[in-house]
Amino acid sequence: MKEKEEIIEINNGESHRVLELAMEAGRILLRNGAEIFRVEETVWHICEHYGVQGLDTFVLSNGIFITADDGEKTIYAKTKHVPLSGAHLGIVAEVNALSREIVEGKVSVDEAFQRLKKIEQMPRTSKPLQTFASGMGAGSFCYIMGATLTESGIAFCIGVLLHVFLMGVKKYNSSKVIVNILGGAFITVLTLCAINFLPFPLRMDKLISGAIMPLVPGIAFTNAIRDIADSDILSGTVRMVDAVLVFVYIAVGAGTVLSIYNSLMGGMFL
Amino acid sequence: MTFVLNLLLASTGSLAFAILYNVPRKFYLCAAFTGMAGWFCYYLTVPFTDTAVASFFGAVGVVLVSRIFAVWKKCPITVFLISGIFPLVPGAGVYYTMYYLVSNELTLAAIKGLESLKIAFGIVLGIVFIVTIPKKWFFIQNWRKKDVEKEYIAPSRK
Repeated sequence: MKEKEEIIEINNGESHRVLELAMEAGRILLRNGAEIFRVEETVWHICEHYGVQGLDTFVLSNGIFITADDGEKTIYAKTKHVPLSGAHLGIVAEVNALSREIVEGKVSVDEAFQRLKKIEQMPRTSKPLQTFASGMGAGSFCYIMGATLTESGIAFCIGVLLHVFLMGVKKYNSSKVIVNILGGAFITVLTLCAINFLPFPLRMDKLISGAIMPLVPGIAFTNAIRDIADSDILSGTVRMVDAVLVFVYIAVGAGTVLSIYNSLMGGMFL
Repeated sequence: MTFVLNLLLASTGSLAFAILYNVPRKFYLCAAFTGMAGWFCYYLTVPFTDTAVASFFGAVGVVLVSRIFAVWKKCPITVFLISGIFPLVPGAGVYYTMYYLVSNELTLAAIKGLESLKIAFGIVLGIVFIVTIPKKWFFIQNWRKKDVEKEYIAPSRK
């Protein structure tokens, strides 16, 4: 009798650890911009492989709830708050690969914990490269929207400066509202400077709509659609509101500068 | 010439966002190709239809290609999808809406706003259409099995 109890206890301890692992994997995925169904699937796969039963999960865009029971009583119940934050798709890909390996039976629980820790510390791409990429995105999309090569070159410069500016702002204030409003305003100021001080003719609309691109909330928008398509309507709506709000912030920033410019110049250039 | 430049810059633009979102280096080429494929579909259809419909076809192209890559490279579809969808995002529409709102031309603002909303819906529909295709269809084994069955059935019918 005593032996049996011990075995159950050990099993419970083991499943507790597995559930902790699943929670950790889910948290890292959600934090770095994975879809809701991927988080749920990963948690289920991990638990299923290590033989945890009576699992129930509920994943929202900013929280994970996991419970498990052994048929009689609850052995695990935990919620985790996951604040919306910057995405890192490399980490999503790595955790996904890890969960594949777990299902194939190549990784033990302890090993998986260590791997997760390592994955979470995966470095971001270097800042100079990111800055260059920001400019490249702005310039490329400016041309695609029907601008000339000169305009696209200037959009490239604005994109680079924008990223440097954003890195500076983020150091002091990580609030999304401020960052995006200031970003939109910064783009507009630079564009107006370029139009007024450079000797060749430039179109403001093409320049701004290209330079806006690095600020566009692509991950929130795409994930919102994917979540709604998977009928995770609640999380999808939250993410969609997040994306739309960012658009609004950018518009507020750019619009304020434009209207000030408008009234200063008496509407001559608009 | 503009066509080639368009495709090239669509791919560099997607690549830029792949870098910004920390996509692993080994997937850079795939991400760039996804963006190019989407813009290719959009560019071919836009002379014949509305921008929203063209965006739908563009999104269909992006999601199809990124699902194929996801199965082939065994990694989440998000990695390719997000950077690939960027060329289709109505950045210009958002700008015009804001611009007309500020300059107090509300009718034009409404027109532009609804237009970009239509484009967004086109993208949404494109994504939903392809995402709901069963996962099975993207595995080559599945098709091979069917080929084998067909070959098996075909001679007996003769």
